[in-house]
Amino acid sequence: MNGIRTLRLGMRSLLHRDREEQRIDEEMRFHIEMQTAQNVKRGMSPAAARTEALRAFGGVEKAKEQVRETWVTRRFEELVQDVRYGVRSLRKNPGFAAVVVVSLALGIGANTAIFSAVHSVLLRPLPYTQGERVTVLRQQEKLAGVDDVGVSALEMADYRARSRTLSGIAEYHTMTFNLVNLVRHGAPERVRTGVVSSNFFDVLGVKPMLGRDFTAGDEKPGAVPVLVLSYEYWQNNQGGDPAVIGKALQMNDKAHTVIGVLPPVTQYPDTNDVYMPTTACPFRSKPIMLTNRSMRMVSAIARLAPGVPLARASEETAGILRQMQHEHPEDYPAAQGFAASLISLRDELTRGARPTLLILLATVGLVLLIVCANVANLTLARQVSRSRELAVRTALGADRGRLARQLLTESTLLALGGGLLGLLLAAGALRLLVTFVTRFSPRAGEISIDGTVLLFTLLVSLVTGLAFGALPALSRTEPADALKEGGDRAGSGGAGLRLRNGLIVAQLALSFMLLIGAGLMLRSLLKLQQVDPGFHTGQVLTAGLDLNWSRYDTEEKRLDFYRRLLPRLAALPGVTEVAFGSTFPLNDSQPWTNSLRIESRPLPDGQAAPRVDMRVASPEYFTTMGIPLLSGRTFTQQDDAKTTAVAVVNRSMAHRFWGSQDPVGQRISFDAGKTWKTVIGVIGDVKQYGLNHAPSEEAYRPLAQVPLLGGHVLLRTTGSPKALESGLHEAVRAIDVEQPVFGIRTVAEARAESLAPPRLTATLLTLFSLLALIITATGIAGLIAFSVSQRTHEIGIRMALGAVRGSVLWMVLRQGAVLVLAGLVLGVAGALAFTRVLSSFLFQVEPNDPLTFLTVIATLLAVAALACLLPARRATLIQPIVALRSS
Amino acid sequence: MARMAQPKADLLQGTLDLLILKTLALQPAHGWGISQRIQQVSRDVLQVNQGSLYPALQRLEQQGWIDSEWGISENNRRARFYRLTEAGERQLAAETENWERLSEAVGRILQTA
Repeated sequence: MNGIRTLRLGMRSLLHRDREEQRIDEEMRFHIEMQTAQNVKRGMSPAAARTEALRAFGGVEKAKEQVRETWVTRRFEELVQDVRYGVRSLRKNPGFAAVVVVSLALGIGANTAIFSAVHSVLLRPLPYTQGERVTVLRQQEKLAGVDDVGVSALEMADYRARSRTLSGIAEYHTMTFNLVNLVRHGAPERVRTGVVSSNFFDVLGVKPMLGRDFTAGDEKPGAVPVLVLSYEYWQNNQGGDPAVIGKALQMNDKAHTVIGVLPPVTQYPDTNDVYMPTTACPFRSKPIMLTNRSMRMVSAIARLAPGVPLARASEETAGILRQMQHEHPEDYPAAQGFAASLISLRDELTRGARPTLLILLATVGLVLLIVCANVANLTLARQVSRSRELAVRTALGADRGRLARQLLTESTLLALGGGLLGLLLAAGALRLLVTFVTRFSPRAGEISIDGTVLLFTLLVSLVTGLAFGALPALSRTEPADALKEGGDRAGSGGAGLRLRNGLIVAQLALSFMLLIGAGLMLRSLLKLQQVDPGFHTGQVLTAGLDLNWSRYDTEEKRLDFYRRLLPRLAALPGVTEVAFGSTFPLNDSQPWTNSLRIESRPLPDGQAAPRVDMRVASPEYFTTMGIPLLSGRTFTQQDDAKTTAVAVVNRSMAHRFWGSQDPVGQRISFDAGKTWKTVIGVIGDVKQYGLNHAPSEEAYRPLAQVPLLGGHVLLRTTGSPKALESGLHEAVRAIDVEQPVFGIRTVAEARAESLAPPRLTATLLTLFSLLALIITATGIAGLIAFSVSQRTHEIGIRMALGAVRGSVLWMVLRQGAVLVLAGLVLGVAGALAFTRVLSSFLFQVEPNDPLTFLTVIATLLAVAALACLLPARRATLIQPIVALRSS
Repeated sequence: MARMAQPKADLLQGTLDLLILKTLALQPAHGWGISQRIQQVSRDVLQVNQGSLYPALQRLEQQGWIDSEWGISENNRRARFYRLTEAGERQLAAETENWERLSEAVGRILQTA
């Protein structure tokens, strides 16, 4: 009711603006006339009567203005006026506007970029149909310490038959195929292949973009081999041609027909090139895989039935495993501690990125706070120099609220400008951001600036505008003071100055905390780089080979391939040593572990067999990698299929199982005692999984006794490793023209890449904290410069009275020194309280590391001193006579 | 410039609204008439700040408590006449009760002190 009435009156005042103006005019004129008439009646002269009537009324224009104020449209008109006025006044002061807009753009841009990553990776629902229902079904051996033992075909069948809370369970494992790509002129390609049950994409919630999904018929034994391509593989390797549907791709000597192409979505569990049904995998189709419950080679994803909470489904899953244990105790040794549970796929995909992104979000939030404080400070300084203008407007009838609105309009204009520029900055940095986040989450590809991010930027801009505009708008200037001679100084004393000092102290404290955060990360990175990895990284080139398993289907054929390849590589110019290994240190490879038995040491009842890492190596591997031999010997050419089965163990393994004894000559088994290998030597530990990981227990087996289907060649050279690349390709092609080579890089590169996540995080934090430091330094310099200019007169008098330059300098510096010290004290307290959140990121560095604190204190002091000194020097150059004349 | 002290503006504002509503409850009047009546009835104790009278009228009209139309004044001049609406009567009753409670309370405190 009321609203409608207000609106109607509002419309009236908008549509009949002139009539309304006339009305107040007439009403007030009538009023004054009546008052005048009354005054005359009381015996005043007509002229005096009118003057008295006007006086009693108290400012006709002011009263009219107050009436207009009540009009609804008035607000809008004022806004337009304020915006116009604001733009005009900012254009008069482009330097101020530019500094403010650029610093806001940096602050808001950083926040927009990091928020877009947080939103896309952590907050947005998964890009699958009802993605919140997708879960990972995981079996663990809790007591044996294995997080993921996989699932066997028989277990899959049991889960499917018994689960009531899951609407579908799909299986997955990965393989590599070799393919001769006709689109790319017959280049051999290694194709990462997801081998899945026909319901896999249904359970995940992805529909092919082209063609069709797998059907149950595709997964029947003997079905025509079919393929679904990933969007990226289709685009990059098959020319993005829609006619690819129905085409046959020759994979490992067998034709597979393409039936579909996936849309560009984040893939799980791995990023694959193509997908095929389980029946196309010869290993998965072996009888032992289908009949032995312990052959757990696949992983499982499951979709929650509608309305079922994760916890209930997970409980049911655990229950099904308990039934299976009860029915088949021989397949679930109690000592291993089998367990099953469901994990939300979203958690699985985002867990790795969460801590880093949240730290970055907090960091850019603090940077924006610093920017806000700095801009508020600038605005306050500008307001002091504008105090006369504002006072004149107050005296002319503008009320305080109106002036505050005017100031807020200006700050909002600046903030929106900063926000827009910041958005452009963030959009420009998006690709870099994706590259960065890729290290932490497969969802990195989903990062984009969407509606939510735009809304976020708008909100942040508005809040920022309010935040730095509110302080100046609220700090009042008395018109009478401002209008007095020398009134420029009005806002420089008292409350205004205290506020500005407070802002500087806050900026210093926040900058200090950010610098400590960055400093700790850098220290930690340095420590990581100093870690002895246990091997030499210099001048070794590595390359991956995955043999075509249908062509190299016997151990003889594989060994023959390696025996022909390695000498060819050794003959390349500059190559001093060539070796082959299942993997090499810091290669980012999946762990491959086996249970271990030691001869004449029976396993106590109810105890799980310990697990050790397995590696396969050619005899030259240890010298090529520079891994030292500690005892016994390493492999020789004589250790082959016809001689004793042997193994080399690393120092950690020797220490764990034999203590100070030498294990050489002991026999160990990796198949629960069926076959035994003799330990012939002990070698040094290497950092396999990361420089910040403790070395694992490793057992090495000779390539000639375990001829793997794939691994890595290592070439040590006296020249540039990269120069070997073409020779390497040629050597492989000479043996098998269809054999692809992948992942060519040096061991040093692999090591550097293993440090990429901490290095990138440290770099970003350092950049942000330096930005904060620079902004704070300009803030201090600005404040000191301002106070010098305000005190020119005073300084002039002091110097005229005989003060020496030094004492003037000290007088000015003292002001800065007090602020810097206060900021430091607060900053140290804040840092001690909050750096603990960084603990999980730090390596061999305590969150209160004294060296970092001292370095940052020194840095901040040096920068602050410089920021104070430059403007303070200007004070000493003041000529007393000029200063005195200036006012 | 005779200005009211800023901090008390709200209280006086509310009081002025109440006085306007009460005056209009007796009979419709124009702005000048309202100010005169308040002054007379209060025996010159209350001087209406005329500069704030018209904004107050405008506000009350927007609240829907009073209505206005052009009429002819006692000296045959065109003048804007205000009258109380039904909503205004209700508001007046509520405000009056409020005021009485308040002044009674203040009175009690003053007596005991």
